[in-house]
Amino acid sequence: MLLQLKQLVCTLKKCENRKMVQLYDVTLRDGNHALRHSLSPNFVAEYCQLAENSDVWAVEVGHGNGLGASSLLVGKSRHSDFELLSQARQSLNKVLLGVHAIPGFATLKRDLIPAVNLGVDLFRIATHVTEADTAEKHIEYLASQNIMVHGVLMMSHMIEVGKLVDQVSLMKKYGASAVILMDSAGYFLPPDVAERVDRIKQSLDIEVGFHAHNNFGSAIANASTAIGLGATIVDGASMGLGAGAGNAQLENIVATLVRTTNSEADLSKFLRMSEIVENQYPDKLPRPNSSSVQSGMSGVFSGYAPQVKNISAELGIDISLLWDEIGKRKLVPGQESMIREIAQDLMNL
Amino acid sequence: MVKIKVAIIGTGNIGTDLCERLLADHRFDVVALIGRRADSEGLMRFKGRVDHLLHDGAKSLASIVGNLDGVFDATSAFDHQEHWTICKENSVWMIDLTPSKIGDPMVPSLIEKSEVFNIKSQKVANYSMVTCGGQSSAALIYSFSKHSKNIQEIEISSSIASLSAGPATRRNIDQYISSTEDLGTRISGSEKVKAILVVNPSTPPVMMRTTVQMKVDEANLPLVVNELNSLVEIIQKYVPGYEVTIEPLLSPEMILSATVRVIGSGYYLPNYAGNLDIINAAAVETASLHFEKMRK
Repeated sequence: MLLQLKQLVCTLKKCENRKMVQLYDVTLRDGNHALRHSLSPNFVAEYCQLAENSDVWAVEVGHGNGLGASSLLVGKSRHSDFELLSQARQSLNKVLLGVHAIPGFATLKRDLIPAVNLGVDLFRIATHVTEADTAEKHIEYLASQNIMVHGVLMMSHMIEVGKLVDQVSLMKKYGASAVILMDSAGYFLPPDVAERVDRIKQSLDIEVGFHAHNNFGSAIANASTAIGLGATIVDGASMGLGAGAGNAQLENIVATLVRTTNSEADLSKFLRMSEIVENQYPDKLPRPNSSSVQSGMSGVFSGYAPQVKNISAELGIDISLLWDEIGKRKLVPGQESMIREIAQDLMNL
Repeated sequence: MVKIKVAIIGTGNIGTDLCERLLADHRFDVVALIGRRADSEGLMRFKGRVDHLLHDGAKSLASIVGNLDGVFDATSAFDHQEHWTICKENSVWMIDLTPSKIGDPMVPSLIEKSEVFNIKSQKVANYSMVTCGGQSSAALIYSFSKHSKNIQEIEISSSIASLSAGPATRRNIDQYISSTEDLGTRISGSEKVKAILVVNPSTPPVMMRTTVQMKVDEANLPLVVNELNSLVEIIQKYVPGYEVTIEPLLSPEMILSATVRVIGSGYYLPNYAGNLDIINAAAVETASLHFEKMRK
């Protein structure tokens, strides 16, 4: 263990010679899961004004499942993506404005092109880790318009490493200038992250990002490991505000970078951002709990947490059993309506 | 008995399944299967079983169209335009399985109930099978909207097995969404329709499922249930694997919802490909209904 830590510190130090790590702030997007998509334009404005003066590279804004995902299926937004994005656009200048969008929910015509017109700087087009080719048209279109577009592979634990490289390679071929691995279920431990980031960096010439969830309390260690192995984009959220057990705490990522590299990021700015999140949403802050440890073990999408909780309570089913069965059936994000059917099946056993 | 003389154009998954299905159906005489390559797997499979195995696309169609009652087009939206021109000139009807949006959307199970779907009274016709999400959700949307008031919004979410989502579906996922939403509007009269498609790669492959959720001001749940049951009976005659897995519910927030599962018949495609099965079954049903009406 000690040896591993030493290695980690060594690899982190090597970052000094590499490209600066870009801090990608998902508080106002993944955090919207924790808020049941109730994020308000006022808070977006307040947060973005602080972010604009920090060393954040980009702020992502919108529904928890991304642009165009507000729905009865996964949850309605109280304020539309466009209300939130317009507000953010007014407050951000130096810092980039990003969106997350999943083909199957978002379409070019209805969602992405209007977002381009609104002035979104960076598009992250996301698919389940095995389905990169459902994003071909969207990535190609944005790249052809010279708009910054990154690919996202969600639930990246659900594929073997070799096949993961193939999916990254597809997104690169379509025109994505970076690919972000999401540990959407919070399943990874540092060695899992190390193996994947390393293999991609060894195999392909593409910028890699990493997005952690904290089900096992290892979000910061996972993010640090990704950076150590060459990831140059790292996702974090103030106070970890995100789905399930939450994301890697942005302020802790910054603290880690300051301690272990020659990063000159101003930690105090990040602490101010985390304070306003803490003050605004004291009862919404995520943390690993028994349910999220179980969902992590089962490898289930963190965004399912509210519905799993509700349905297990409604039907009186043990929540661990329900997580476990959802994991066995390998549901992917967007199959919320299956939770009830699985619960019914469990009751009929 | 007079058989329905048809050709299938397109030898991918859909075309191959359709050909197997029509060969097994005594009402049909499969005159020709038309592909693009003489040695394609899709054509070779039917050697000795289909009289004319042709490989020159639209040219082949033009050469044989005089011998046909109707044509099933399982090619692409782009090619469909040319095929339709040929059929129209020769008074041959078409069943459009491409996402071209040229044909009139058709859900055969709703013909009796809804005035939106009609079998044409002239011989030349072009029926579009829309999408799998459209076919599988139609009965739910119809029964929900018929027995409720003031629809606020409708959502159609489908999940399909990764192995059953061909390259065309993957490349045209936006088109899938807009066609499915348009059909929802046509059935319900509501403009506020959202379609969602999720592709699931798990093994064993998942069976296709479609959930419809509809937010309304008022609803009569028992009537919804009866309506849906009667429609399911009609659908099961041509899609035996169509089944309601979550019965209609009305939540305190006034959201009607129900889920159906479609297990494929396994003519050529495995039974998890219920999404392709329901499209092909609807195509065959529409063709036979149109032919019957012409005979009368």
